[in-house]
Amino acid sequence: MTKVDKHTETSLRDLAAEAAFKALDEVGNEKPEAVVVGNMLSSLIEQENLAALIADHIGLRGVCGLKVEGACGSGGVAVLAGYSMIASGLYDRVLVIGVEKLLERPTPDTLRGLAYAADADYELIYGVSFAGLNALIMRYYMSKYDVRREELALWSVIMHQNGAKNPYAQLRNEITLETVLSSPVVADPIRLYDACPLSDGAAAVYITSEDWKKVSDTPILVAGVGNAVDSPDLSSRVSLDEFYASRISAEKALRTAKLDIKDIDVAEIHDAYTITAAVSLESIGFAEKGKAAKLWSEGRFRPGDKPTINPSGGLKSRGHPVGATGVYQVVEVAMQLRGDFPGVSVPSEIGLTQNIGGVGSNVTTIVLRR
Amino acid sequence: MTTIQRIWRIKNTLLRLLSTRCLDCGFVAYPPKASCPKCGSRRLIKEELPKIGEVLSYTVINVPLRGFEEFTPLIICLIKLGEAKVLAELVDVKPGNVHIGMKVMATLRRSAKTLDGVIPYVVKFRPLSLGSS
Repeated sequence: MTKVDKHTETSLRDLAAEAAFKALDEVGNEKPEAVVVGNMLSSLIEQENLAALIADHIGLRGVCGLKVEGACGSGGVAVLAGYSMIASGLYDRVLVIGVEKLLERPTPDTLRGLAYAADADYELIYGVSFAGLNALIMRYYMSKYDVRREELALWSVIMHQNGAKNPYAQLRNEITLETVLSSPVVADPIRLYDACPLSDGAAAVYITSEDWKKVSDTPILVAGVGNAVDSPDLSSRVSLDEFYASRISAEKALRTAKLDIKDIDVAEIHDAYTITAAVSLESIGFAEKGKAAKLWSEGRFRPGDKPTINPSGGLKSRGHPVGATGVYQVVEVAMQLRGDFPGVSVPSEIGLTQNIGGVGSNVTTIVLRR
Repeated sequence: MTTIQRIWRIKNTLLRLLSTRCLDCGFVAYPPKASCPKCGSRRLIKEELPKIGEVLSYTVINVPLRGFEEFTPLIICLIKLGEAKVLAELVDVKPGNVHIGMKVMATLRRSAKTLDGVIPYVVKFRPLSLGSS
């Protein structure tokens, strides 16, 4: 993976190459048979056909190539697609690259692009931003479960503490509760520091069949994968205080891994906003409904706890290069399991990643083990 | 920004608030779906939603999508209308006076210009009781 940052001097293809070469170097540059690219918004920088662009750039003409899109969850879906290509028996070696450049275009263009994850006919027609949609969930949740503003804001403080130690993180400054509570209101009750930053970045994983796992000295097993979708629109949802697709995808991933949620030592989850962290933790099964913020206020989910959540700093501090984020999460958890993650280190046997597209509408969960 | 084609295509659904009701399980969905989101049945009928409902949740947006600057601060609500929920803009009220449970009614209002330069009208909501504005 590359550092998540504003990469003004580096093109999308060079970001992807940097991440890809790191992954390839770990397997002795063994040529993959296929390249899967996770990306949401390269059209913003007037570039599509990413699999061809990137595969060609990194010397892989002739391999199978495809781009996978699932809004902000594109990276997770790309890993799932790469895994599936191997599980089907079609290939033995697949390189999955997540890459995104959100900071090249003016911010209003990027914000509009991110909102494309919602329902264009019945939501965007009112000018609602992506933050606005999450704010609707946040107010509903705070009201229903009597959760205080300060309790949710604390999540950002914890994430910046973790991210400050992660050399790949975008925002490495520690913050206080006051930083969050006095930051500008973006979409009430969401303030700027409830939200993840806009980011550029790329990450890559090399997935092999069992027969080829020896290309690495420290292979990590993909124990289970799951994906589920929900409505892109909020209004037809059965429940507004749960991410249905998060729950289904986590159940599927754990079931295929033959593991229980209690087995998870470390997880990287999709905290695009503080409210997203709370609803995700509850939907995955790490907390009871309405209780996540209470738990992290009591010290749960921090380094030293099982599970430790987002030792990377999460989307809030590591950053959120949307189509790359799901791949970052897999790289980070794999490094935790190997014991060579350069930030907050969590000694662990079993890890989980969950990457979300839209407001919980396209969710991929991946379970990894040593 | 939207197009005149989109506004034209969805005008009936948007202006009359047409939902789909499942004839097998009874689930009412807005926006309308091609199959029931709950049970998967394709036996659906179009049903006009009531025009009076109450606010389930709301947000006041200071940074709206490009093209909606003149409507800022933009109040967006999730509104319970009969058995369904609708996402829409709330007007004729100060942001500080909006609250969960507030009774609101549908009204026809101007929206942001389309890419083609046309001024579309959409359904927005306003407080049922003018005293609460």
